[in-house]
Amino acid sequence: MTDYTLNCRGMQCPGPIMELFKQMKAAAPGDTAAISVTDMGFKKDIEVWCRKTKNTLVSLTEDAGVITAVVRKG
Amino acid sequence: MRLLILGGVAAGTKAAARARREYPDAEVTIVTQDEYVAYAGCGLPYFVGGEISEAKELIVRTPDEFKQENGITVLTRHQATQIDPAAHTVQVRDLMTGAEDGFPYDKLIIATGAVPILPKIEGINLKRVSTVRGLTDAKKIRALLDTGKLHTAVVIGGGFIGLEMAENLARHGLTVSIVELKSAILPGFDPEIAALTKNHLIEHGVQIYTGEGVTRILGNAHGEASGVVTDARTLPADLVILSAGIRPHTEVAAAAGVRVDVRGLILVDEYLRTSVADIFAVGDCASVRNRITGADTYSPMGSTANKTGRLVVANLFAPTEAFAGVQGTTIVRVFTLNAARTGLSTEEARAAGYDVETVLVPTPDRAHYFPGNRTIITKLIAEKSTHRLLGAQVVGEGVVDKPIDTLALGIAMGITVDALSGMDLAYTPPFASALSSSIVAANVLLNKLAGKVRGVSPCELALDDPALQLLDVRTEPEYLIAAIPGACNIPLAELTERRGELDPARPTVVVCKVGRRAYSAALQLQRAGFTDVRILDGGMTAWPFATE
Repeated sequence: MTDYTLNCRGMQCPGPIMELFKQMKAAAPGDTAAISVTDMGFKKDIEVWCRKTKNTLVSLTEDAGVITAVVRKG
Repeated sequence: MRLLILGGVAAGTKAAARARREYPDAEVTIVTQDEYVAYAGCGLPYFVGGEISEAKELIVRTPDEFKQENGITVLTRHQATQIDPAAHTVQVRDLMTGAEDGFPYDKLIIATGAVPILPKIEGINLKRVSTVRGLTDAKKIRALLDTGKLHTAVVIGGGFIGLEMAENLARHGLTVSIVELKSAILPGFDPEIAALTKNHLIEHGVQIYTGEGVTRILGNAHGEASGVVTDARTLPADLVILSAGIRPHTEVAAAAGVRVDVRGLILVDEYLRTSVADIFAVGDCASVRNRITGADTYSPMGSTANKTGRLVVANLFAPTEAFAGVQGTTIVRVFTLNAARTGLSTEEARAAGYDVETVLVPTPDRAHYFPGNRTIITKLIAEKSTHRLLGAQVVGEGVVDKPIDTLALGIAMGITVDALSGMDLAYTPPFASALSSSIVAANVLLNKLAGKVRGVSPCELALDDPALQLLDVRTEPEYLIAAIPGACNIPLAELTERRGELDPARPTVVVCKVGRRAYSAALQLQRAGFTDVRILDGGMTAWPFATE
């Protein structure tokens, strides 16, 4: 099981979701990725993306303008 | 000089205070039906919601303070019943005792404000049915909410007060519905902005029923409101808020021969003079000129009331300080969304005879990499032939008041889109982008005005047109998250090789997230011989309708 960290702060669409997409493609089931983002639109997007791609949104937090989502493959 | 002022909220008290400074020897008297004076009427919804904790925080000055600090006499719960312009007297009734008395004046300022328009329906007089016009109303509503026994509310009317009340009632945990007779909430805004605002309210649990009229208010055995019946449904309502508009409160002035329009609006010139000598009118009861169209309009805003209340004093003896008029600048906050406008809406501009071009441009409100940035969407409306900026609207969870005030100033000065594009605006990452939201919007508009690209507003995109080819050029994951029904996905990076999947003869609308990739794609398709290409203004970010 691997825990990946993706710093996508400062990236605009479609940067963060593309980075996560690539990482999850390469990851094994059960691996997690913690992605941090400054684009607030990501908050809504990540929930829908996880639901539609059948990945698990472990947590979604916001602190000082930075959103951090932890996603588990599968 | 004996200065008599009818009305004591914003305009009346502003006039009284300045008159005291300008004319120290004048005898200044305010007559008002209300039990309070000089309160911040625009703050009422926030007192109801609890963001303003006590009613006294909204009171700028009490009648006693006016007397002691300014030497101004304030008669609350007193109603002017008749004006005799020839004799220069006003008949005033004491609403507590019923006694009547004549008040002589040298100059009379009418600042009687507005009264709510009450729908003529059954149940309007039930308990727990209230307008939100004065502090008395607001205190009554707050007291009801503080009992903790109310669970549902219906707000009749989706204007500013209605929306602000919906938010503030929801803060108390009530389930709130808004019923609006017109097809959209947020009057005066373009339909896309109103639709985005509606979505935001729905996301925060407020139900919105547009295009529905209220036919009846239901009551319980205690004579309290219990529900609202519309053309289409029955809604539960422990509380009913009436916010279906206001009208000028001017019957006494009109009866005295002061010229009013069909709505009862007192018509004044730029010096706030009525048709009758020595009688002036300011605030929510008086007309104001639209500084773009030149038409006399009704624009009952606190900002205008304060301005005209102050200005009128300079004109009591000779026309000295003219009021430049209004341009429809307003702003509203609903939950975490802010919406602001200035100048003419698209509809108003077209009605005034302008041939216009518009844009809808999402941008971050500060540097896109700076934590805490939020998206705002700027709409600009300009005259095609002159490039003159006629109107602007900004909506979003970010800062909108700064751009709207900048744009308001520009419009007042007759700015062109070209000049806006070159404005030297404040920039550093925590506050703005290197190209600020207004400048980016101006640049997109210049591209459209130059004919480089054509756009279509989300409200004008006919999805049911069978010939339409809707092309989404975002990446696959973005498309997967949310797309417009019927859109085909060819990411911009693949467009060159996959262009053959499209029919160059069909009308094509290109969509991306904000418009930037769609613009590149549209240019590429046009060069490749596509004859009818448009981009979706504002992209998915400003798309207010269903996605899949």
